Amino acid sequence: MFYIYLAILAIVLALTVWVLFDTKKLSLQVTAAMVIVPLLLRLLMIK
Amino acid sequence: MQKHTISAIICLAGALVAAAIAGASFLAMRKPDLIVRGPGVTDVKMLSDWFPGLKGTPGDTEVYILKGADDGASMLVLGGTHPNEPAGHIAAIMLIENAQPKSGTLYVIPRANASGFTANDPQEGAPQSFTIQTPNGPRVFRYGSRATNPIHQWPDPNVYIHASSGQTLSGSETRNLNRGYPGRPDGTLTERVCYGIVQLIKKENVTITVDLHEASPEYPVINAIVAHPKAMQLASDMVLGLEMQDIKISLEPSPVNLRGLTHRELGDFTDTLPVLMETANASQGRLRGRTDEALVLTGKDKWYVRAEKLGRLYVPYDEKGHPLEERVGRHVTAISELMNSWNLEHPEKPLEFEGLPGYEDFLTKGIGVFLLPLPAKN
Repeated sequence: MFYIYLAILAIVLALTVWVLFDTKKLSLQVTAAMVIVPLLLRLLMIK
Repeated sequence: MQKHTISAIICLAGALVAAAIAGASFLAMRKPDLIVRGPGVTDVKMLSDWFPGLKGTPGDTEVYILKGADDGASMLVLGGTHPNEPAGHIAAIMLIENAQPKSGTLYVIPRANASGFTANDPQEGAPQSFTIQTPNGPRVFRYGSRATNPIHQWPDPNVYIHASSGQTLSGSETRNLNRGYPGRPDGTLTERVCYGIVQLIKKENVTITVDLHEASPEYPVINAIVAHPKAMQLASDMVLGLEMQDIKISLEPSPVNLRGLTHRELGDFTDTLPVLMETANASQGRLRGRTDEALVLTGKDKWYVRAEKLGRLYVPYDEKGHPLEERVGRHVTAISELMNSWNLEHPEKPLEFEGLPGYEDFLTKGIGVFLLPLPAKN
């Protein structure tokens, strides 16, 4: 189960980064950047 | 390069910087508090010495042993079962740094849930640590999470099913050390810690086990001792001893149907006499206002004063709060009284310790004077 959750997390993180670079709307880019922080910390098993 | 690509790179860089700063802060919590070996400490082992399945895991934790020259009974004190209840943790450290054994053996686990000390509960705004001033300089202690760090045990199930009873609780309770007893050798990290503590109790034939906690002022079981039926006589005698010192404490029987807790399972599954004690901690309560180090240390909170006036609390609350000195003093004095009560009934197998500060000592001198100086850094 742990690795399934980690895989889901990695996919969501990758999609968020994709949105960050794909969108032309600055507010959406800032939002995506904020979402990346907790996802990255959990992917690295820090928090 | 297109304009939106440049802004994306800037946003990503900002996210990475924020993650690095936050990550460094979270990683710093994994460094354990420094605890000084007091004059009575005869040995320090790890819980994995009793249950090797914990070795190398974040659940392994120090067990301080204070063995007297004369044989006698034994007592296990658990501090830090819930790392957001600092009086239990600090009271255990008080024993380690001050108690000097004469008869019997004292086992102290100051960080029963060691993993819980490495994280905070999200959305609580709790400080990561608090500082106690001592004559030898400040001593810093972690303020952790009620439960095992989810980094060490993740994901939570939707429903937590207590293994030996089938009791169901909310999923996050799967990381609550005081819902996991008697534990399982092949269970979750939390259950393995519980199992390790049970193995210690069984292998060392521990006579009395004391689990130190704190509770929200609006929680009914507060300034209380909860005892398993077979520990009720001992706890009753202790309550009388505290009342004679003008320390009010209520005695509660361990509920038969509330499973996984020390005061129930350790009594059912081992020969020890288990009790659990609670003091009043505003910093974990639901009605609190600003949550910071000051609240942890002083317990002063205007919203709890207001709640008291509205009759919503189970403990007296005024502008003086419930400072850590008072809460630690209650725990340490109660442990002394437990020993006295045991010795009155079992003079042939005593449990005698010296050097423990009394309740008035804590109230008048504070906690810091009873903390030993840290070893000098090389």
